[in-house]
Amino acid sequence: MGSLRVAVDVGGTFTDVFVLDEATSETRVGKVPSTPDDPGRAVLQAAKSVDVDLKDVVLFSHGTTVATNALITRRFPTAAMVTTKGFRDVIEIRDGTKEDLWDAYKDVAKPYIRRRDRYEVTERVDYQGKELVPLDEAEARELAARLRKKGVKTIAVCFANSYANGDHEKRMKEILEEELPGVRISTSSEVLPEIFEHDRFNTTVANAVLAPLVGDYVNELSENLKNDGYEGDLLLLHSGGGSMTNRMVQKYAVRLAASGIAAGAIAARHLALEAGFPNAIGLDMGGTSTDIALVYDGDIRVTKEWHVEYGYPICFPSIEVLTIGAGGGSLAWIDAAGSLRNGPQSAGATPGPAAYGTGGTQPTNTDANVVLNRLGTKLAGGKMTLQPDLAREAIHSGVAEPFGMTDEEAALAVVKVANANMADAVRLVSIRRGYDPREFALVAFGGAGALHGAALARELSIPTVLVPPNPGVTSALGCLLVDIRHDMSVMYQKALADASSEEMEEIYQSMERDAAAHLAAEGVSPEQVVLERTAAMRYLGQWRSLTVTLGQGPDPLQDAVGRFHREHEREYSFSEETAPVEIYQLGLRAIGVTPKPTLASGEVVTAEPPAPKEIREVWFEGEDGAGRPTQTPVYERSELLPGVTAHGPAIIDQLDSTTVVPPHTRWEIDKNWNILIHILEVSQ
Amino acid sequence: MTATLERTTGEGHLDPVTFEVLKNAFTTSVDLMSAQILRTCHSFVIYARDFSCALVDAKGNTVMQGSQDVAVHVGTLHFGAQAILERFRGDIHPGDIFGVNDPYSGGTHFNDVRIVRPIFADGELIAFAMSMGHWSDMGGTVPGSFDVNATEHFGEGFRMVPVKLWDKGEFRQDVAELIVANTRAPASNLGDMRAQAEATGVCEREILRLTHKYGRDTVVNAFEEVQNYVERLTRARIAELPDGEWEAVDYIDYDPAHGEGLVPVKVKMRIQGDQIHYDLSESAPAVASFLNSGFGASFSGVVAGTKTFFPDIPLNSGFYRAITCDLGPEGTVVNAGWPIAVTGFCSGPYEKIMSAIFELWSGLMPERAIACSFNLEYLLIGGRDARTDDGGFFMWYDWMVGGWGGRNGKDGANCTSPLFGVGLAVQPFEGQERLTPVITDRHEIVTDSGGPGRYRGGCGVEKGGTLTQPDKAVMSYCCDRARNVAWGVAGGLPSTPHGVWLNKGADNEKFLGAVFSNVPVSPGDQFTRPSAGGGGYGDPLDRPAEEVVEDIMDGYVSVERAAKDYGVVVIVNDADTDDYSLDAGATEALRSEIRGKRLDWLEEDAQSIADRYKAGELNELDLIRQYGVIVDWGSGELFPKTTQQFRDLMKKRAASFWAAA
Repeated sequence: MGSLRVAVDVGGTFTDVFVLDEATSETRVGKVPSTPDDPGRAVLQAAKSVDVDLKDVVLFSHGTTVATNALITRRFPTAAMVTTKGFRDVIEIRDGTKEDLWDAYKDVAKPYIRRRDRYEVTERVDYQGKELVPLDEAEARELAARLRKKGVKTIAVCFANSYANGDHEKRMKEILEEELPGVRISTSSEVLPEIFEHDRFNTTVANAVLAPLVGDYVNELSENLKNDGYEGDLLLLHSGGGSMTNRMVQKYAVRLAASGIAAGAIAARHLALEAGFPNAIGLDMGGTSTDIALVYDGDIRVTKEWHVEYGYPICFPSIEVLTIGAGGGSLAWIDAAGSLRNGPQSAGATPGPAAYGTGGTQPTNTDANVVLNRLGTKLAGGKMTLQPDLAREAIHSGVAEPFGMTDEEAALAVVKVANANMADAVRLVSIRRGYDPREFALVAFGGAGALHGAALARELSIPTVLVPPNPGVTSALGCLLVDIRHDMSVMYQKALADASSEEMEEIYQSMERDAAAHLAAEGVSPEQVVLERTAAMRYLGQWRSLTVTLGQGPDPLQDAVGRFHREHEREYSFSEETAPVEIYQLGLRAIGVTPKPTLASGEVVTAEPPAPKEIREVWFEGEDGAGRPTQTPVYERSELLPGVTAHGPAIIDQLDSTTVVPPHTRWEIDKNWNILIHILEVSQ
Repeated sequence: MTATLERTTGEGHLDPVTFEVLKNAFTTSVDLMSAQILRTCHSFVIYARDFSCALVDAKGNTVMQGSQDVAVHVGTLHFGAQAILERFRGDIHPGDIFGVNDPYSGGTHFNDVRIVRPIFADGELIAFAMSMGHWSDMGGTVPGSFDVNATEHFGEGFRMVPVKLWDKGEFRQDVAELIVANTRAPASNLGDMRAQAEATGVCEREILRLTHKYGRDTVVNAFEEVQNYVERLTRARIAELPDGEWEAVDYIDYDPAHGEGLVPVKVKMRIQGDQIHYDLSESAPAVASFLNSGFGASFSGVVAGTKTFFPDIPLNSGFYRAITCDLGPEGTVVNAGWPIAVTGFCSGPYEKIMSAIFELWSGLMPERAIACSFNLEYLLIGGRDARTDDGGFFMWYDWMVGGWGGRNGKDGANCTSPLFGVGLAVQPFEGQERLTPVITDRHEIVTDSGGPGRYRGGCGVEKGGTLTQPDKAVMSYCCDRARNVAWGVAGGLPSTPHGVWLNKGADNEKFLGAVFSNVPVSPGDQFTRPSAGGGGYGDPLDRPAEEVVEDIMDGYVSVERAAKDYGVVVIVNDADTDDYSLDAGATEALRSEIRGKRLDWLEEDAQSIADRYKAGELNELDLIRQYGVIVDWGSGELFPKTTQQFRDLMKKRAASFWAAA
């Protein structure tokens, strides 16, 4: 029996691996280029790159962008939709809105299934689930024959009001299965039994178009892992931040739609909690974009309004990540009215920032950091050399000259605008929701997160920045940490006064039975199962609801109502204790707890840092807002042991990242090898 | 009234970083309001995103408008702040919150209630945070406050001139109750009043955070700088355009006081240097229905229409400074003074102003040209719900998406929200079926609804239902373009007419038209109505036949109309597998035949065409697209004057572009 836990996270450019040996608490990390033509190949290569023998692995978990990429590129197999007569166009009509309000030449994307592949059948139930028109089975069989002729590989069955009664959809599925063996069928009452036709239909359609591709991918990867000696279940990270086994993937492929995005948020949560911060903001900054997630009181915020393309919601609970077009490669530019802007356009990998010497000439954030001497001339442990002259030239002609600034002033201005944009984005996920940033830690990772984290924290009055030991493979760590989790829900729309506790108990118990069956089939033993009941509530007359957890007290519902008022107060800064409350939906979070790894921690000794590898003249902003060069020690991260502490400024280099510690801070290495940067008042 | 704003000069310039930071922070402060109101509102109309938010400076000029606001509110919010300043100057205090819905002081219609919170820093009034939302009912004779037949505002709804709802922090229950007691939805309206007031508090918190950090004077300076910035951007772009004068006219279907005949909304535009001047003063006198517009809403149409051709420029009073607008004296469809009814402005003059401006600018910027789009439409059914024991009041209040006009190089967009605001969301029928005794029968794209063109207009949709157990229910409809059918440009053809059908296809079938109110409906009645498609762009005979075949596969175009509208002949091999092939020879012959005849069709005797419609020999689309003949689509009665006007317009917009046969 082995002792290795392996997590592999596939990204657009790299596939990252994080390995933990449970026996020794030793960790290994690695990176291999992704293989987009066959992503599974890089998964196996990643494991081999850190000398993992799959026979020694007890748990293999995986975050994948296979589903996300398929939705972006729309490489789908031949798919069809079958719906109630009169409603063939629900997914094309959407809610009618456009993302771009003013540009009459910018359109919403086309639906995932073309109109010619959407079919109708005679049937109807009403809002209570009562049958109004029976399913016309003869018509259903004729339709099946047509779909066979068209060579359809996967079908979404989406009937009106099926959230209230899924019998017609179920029967339609049986008929299709009889007539079209081997074709995958997704029904909306199974995929997402919730009210509102477009949300339910589109989620089901997304499931149908993904099912063959994602299902086959996970089947094949599971098979390959098994052949190489792995005996356990492959765990797939799903959008909601839990994981699921292949068996559930075959049924709910669309749950992997945000798999790759969720991992970073989960890692941020874990790192923050281990370091003693129940509230944290995750800042995953890469070359072209930054993902921002929020953890409050140990929980990650989850949304039910997620999409890849505007107008096509995927309504499974998904970890709420705000992605903005700001990264190391974002371009600084001056608009027609003479204002300095930053992003969202990016120099990307080609031509890349000017400093890379690969043809880029427009100034980027990376170039600004080079001019300010914050980035050294060597990256990726010396594999890549930066060219400061080119960076300076780009900043000079692109920003300094037009504004009549020095190059350093211009570079500082570029960084400040980039930071301000990111700060606005963080405000949207924090202050917008009633969270005060001063109660949070900022977990900065990704290639560029640690370059900007401390300045951003000061801008937002966040007191502490946490830079994890391996900022560049943090997402893979996230994959290692997840539990098996299923989120279930049932519509139950009743004023609190009319709600029947017997009825509700029955619904909860029925969900709990289903959940237990799912988890048992996934090999989770009963003692590892945790079930949490939730209820979505709103003030009578409101349109949106808030979901609260039901506790264990003698009157859990009444406690939940109290929690609802408090949440409403926190989120919207007002509550109405005397107003009638309505229940909207009952939910269940069913969790199969996987044993959590213990990461190595070091013995803390209070100590001065070792001798810096160099002293560099780095530009920082002074109290008066003007930039000035500051003698700054540069350290090699691997030489910094737990307990080391000092005041800023400092630059800390490592293979996959550079951490900028500005003046007016104190920094330390904590027991988990994180860098903690404490932001001090400027007067201190 | 000339809706121009005083140009003011800022003092001192901000450094580019502080400026960019504050500009973005103002946007955030307004979007925070929007995000909150969407989650806490009670009115389903607000929930469907018929709301706007703005940050307005102490002089009553807009600093920033919400980035997802509906078009119909742009250019109007600052008038609300100005009305409050005018009424309460010297009596505005911290903790005060005001309400106003008055269309005669720059508002839109009575349902659009603005809640306005003054923001003070160091004891000085520096700004207003505004939240404007469409309340579901404001009283008046018709549920939902949309009475088509109203000619004065007294029948339309409760008029709220500027009032204090909170006085130095104290909620004025008496005033609030006076307002909501005059409506059919007092609880919902009270909820929204509170939700909107709390949302403005979020903006205040953000602005105060900024004044604390950057100092009051810097922030106030930035309010002005942000407007100057937008003004500079706008003027630079206008200056690049040639000077000159242009003119376009769009039409409201008819004025009930004057029988049939299209009613003009005339827009003249002059560009001079870096300034645009609009003149709408030659528009028709106010009509005897509620399809009139107050000055605020008309100015909004001008701003929104222009803005569509400058999609990347942010919106604030800086943009308005580059535009002057002469609406002429009061008493017209575009400048209805008190007490002329204006609630239907949105379906009437508003979208006509926008469409006319689209046509003007399509000539000036052919790369952004666009044909006419479908018309905003609202169907309201209100009464008692006999499904419940207490027979409570219900309201089925519905609006649809439709087709947008064909574009230069691109088909029109299918199924999109109206010009009124593409952020306005349609409602899910599954929600409606729980709340009302109406079962939706269909919600689907209408085949052949897109106006034929080299670039086809977008497709409209049809939505209708069956009443199950209503009691004492009535139906009202607010729309237009049953007669002035959405038109094509550059040789493109019109789309399809609007209008509601009761019991279509049954013995008691009735066409109710595009504007009516208080029509009684009973259990078992079926109703339906299409939304129009967009007009076509360019000559449909120039559309490559392969593209028409693709449209047939998707059912956007029928085999029959492919021949009539596009001259494309297809052979149906196997409809089950979308297997069609093109008959190239027959297509060439048919196209040449149509080319030879189509100019004459527009001259054929209109009465005999109407007679053939009545006899069932010709259908609606034949009349509109081939003969340019407009009739009552139910009775077949010819509208001779309308037809003459419609034919003239078709000759100008379509026939004059067709290559000679």
